Amino acid sequence: MFAQILFILSALLAVAGALMVVFSRDIMHACIYLLASLVGVAGLYLTLGADFLAATQLVVYVGGVIILMLFAIMLTGGGREPSEKMKLLMQVPLMGSPRTYVLSFLALLVLSLTVGKLFVRVMEGFTSVDKLPYMGTVDSIGTLLVTKHVLAFEISSVLLLGALVGAAVIARPNKKRGAK
Amino acid sequence: MNSTVVHYLSQFQFFHQLLAMMGKEYLPLLSLIIFLLVVLIMLGALSLVGGLGTYAERKISADMQARYGPNRVGPFGLLQFLADGIKMFLKEDTVPRSADRLIFTIAPIFCLAGVFGTIAVLPFSSGFMLTDLNVGIFYLLGVSSLVGIGVFLGGYASNSKWSMLGGMRGASQIISYEIPVTITILAVVMLAGGLSLQTLVNSQGAAIWHWNFLHNPFMFVGFFIFFIGALAETNRAPFDLPEAESELVSGYHTEYSGMRFAFFALAEYIEIFVVCAVATALFLGGYHVPFGFGGEAPLGQVLQVVTFASKTFALYYVVIWVRWTLPRLRVDQLMTLCWKYLTPIALFNLIGTIIWLYLTNGRSIVALIFG
Amino acid sequence: MALDLLNIYMPVVLLLAIGVLAVPITLLIGRLIRPANPSQLKETAYECGEMPVGGAWSSFNIRFYVVGLIFIIFDVESALMFPVVAVFNKFNSLGMGGLILVEILIFLLVLIAGLAYCWRRGDLDWVKSYSAANRSDSGVENE
Repeated sequence: MFAQILFILSALLAVAGALMVVFSRDIMHACIYLLASLVGVAGLYLTLGADFLAATQLVVYVGGVIILMLFAIMLTGGGREPSEKMKLLMQVPLMGSPRTYVLSFLALLVLSLTVGKLFVRVMEGFTSVDKLPYMGTVDSIGTLLVTKHVLAFEISSVLLLGALVGAAVIARPNKKRGAK
Repeated sequence: MNSTVVHYLSQFQFFHQLLAMMGKEYLPLLSLIIFLLVVLIMLGALSLVGGLGTYAERKISADMQARYGPNRVGPFGLLQFLADGIKMFLKEDTVPRSADRLIFTIAPIFCLAGVFGTIAVLPFSSGFMLTDLNVGIFYLLGVSSLVGIGVFLGGYASNSKWSMLGGMRGASQIISYEIPVTITILAVVMLAGGLSLQTLVNSQGAAIWHWNFLHNPFMFVGFFIFFIGALAETNRAPFDLPEAESELVSGYHTEYSGMRFAFFALAEYIEIFVVCAVATALFLGGYHVPFGFGGEAPLGQVLQVVTFASKTFALYYVVIWVRWTLPRLRVDQLMTLCWKYLTPIALFNLIGTIIWLYLTNGRSIVALIFG
Repeated sequence: MALDLLNIYMPVVLLLAIGVLAVPITLLIGRLIRPANPSQLKETAYECGEMPVGGAWSSFNIRFYVVGLIFIIFDVESALMFPVVAVFNKFNSLGMGGLILVEILIFLLVLIAGLAYCWRRGDLDWVKSYSAANRSDSGVENE
């Protein structure tokens, strides 16, 4: 029972948050809605029994990526753009030619079929998860990381090194411009 | 392997009588009711701790500066926090016209939810903890990072220069100091061999030489790194740059007044309690009662809670003491301390701990010397 | 007695829900008894008694962004490290501690190399000094 409630709550949070991100006119508000959506996704992981993944979602996305986005917004000054008072319905025809619409319609069809199929699968298998005894995933993830997937583990550190150096290089002040 | 307060209560007769009365299939409902009751009790107790924290802060600082401090409301001024609370409740609710109203309201919610979420895994005793998640300490790190977002948004939404500077400083400080704290926690997790708070506490013993911070020299240093980092993460002096009153008026909550401000303050004081409790659980032996007192029986549980709380309040006192003793850091000093001192030392500690564990098979320094 | 898989998350959901609902509910209840006399001056942002000049939403220094980036990298690193260090004791008691030790050391040393590179090139300095001569007056925060 609680599993269903948790699932519905987090699914609502994830979907509503994502929709609000798209429809929000204020970039800062969009960021907050994205946060709600990410928390919802963490809840979804939880309903699937992936507790470590859910916690990682919280730590990395909610704690890290969202803060980074907020900083990035502040980099550009933040604040509200003087928003044009254009309603959604007026916007839609402006977005492209008939070809775009046909393509996007087809893409939507394929996507909805895939998602629908997945959804049916999930709903069928869902009640069985509820009855499993509680067992953590930390131990099995750790064991796999140091035995079977040790190469991935080590290479990810090289990836992180690349990201670290890249971040530092991008942000380095342009020396040619001289002192402030 | 995992235990919640419901698991603990299910040892007793009345739990099964209650369950038989309701019918077996209502177990989830019964556990929900128990959880709700315990949550409310804990929140009430922690709000009291937060309120008394403001009182303690003022009283201790007064003591250090040879003043009286609050002494009018109630005996020794003990009810001062209640009077303050009522006053703030009755204050007019002002939101600056230039502010972002939605985010202005949401910011304290983030701070409060982030702090409340951490309470779920605090190990007050072996039975009286809300839930012992398998990812306990990692979950705690994730949820508490909501506080940083709340601080930033509070600063942003006010659209006041002081708030904005405070919010930016606060967020960058909180995320920076999370790194040495996390790396130190990694070393503790390695020692205990698990992420759940029960595992972390149970890897220690009641005697002081069984505590984690005396396990090996690296742990001893690690405790201080954790404590410094925790101070910075709660925006306490000497790291209170986000609300530095001499330069930023009041920092990220300059524009907040009345109940909105009260929630920020409440979250801050409860967060101090939470980080002290985590330090107790990770390094200071947690709820273990000396001489074998304290067990599964209710009396033992009470002793465990008392032990845990007294260690935590001792640390709470140190936090307040530090605030009124040390001067505030400068921003560049703050960042230098984090990135050039704490983080390298924490990384060194982590490597040292793993090599120690490998060489000694996980024995502590006392065990090596005396047997 | 064993609770089902997800019921142990009840307190988490309850606490977060109370944390989220406490603020709006208190503000709504407070609305009944608190005064409300808004005025133009009362609702301006505080700028030490002067009328505020411009808004506060201006572009900030890139340093904050860099701190955020480096933080994320260490965050991901810790997320990868947590399960690994959690099983170290288990492997150590099986006599395989040396293997894990080497794996963790390689992982950490690669990251430490990155940190050392950033340190060497001065990316960890909060106040970037362009020459050794300016280094002395580097105490000014400059957003």
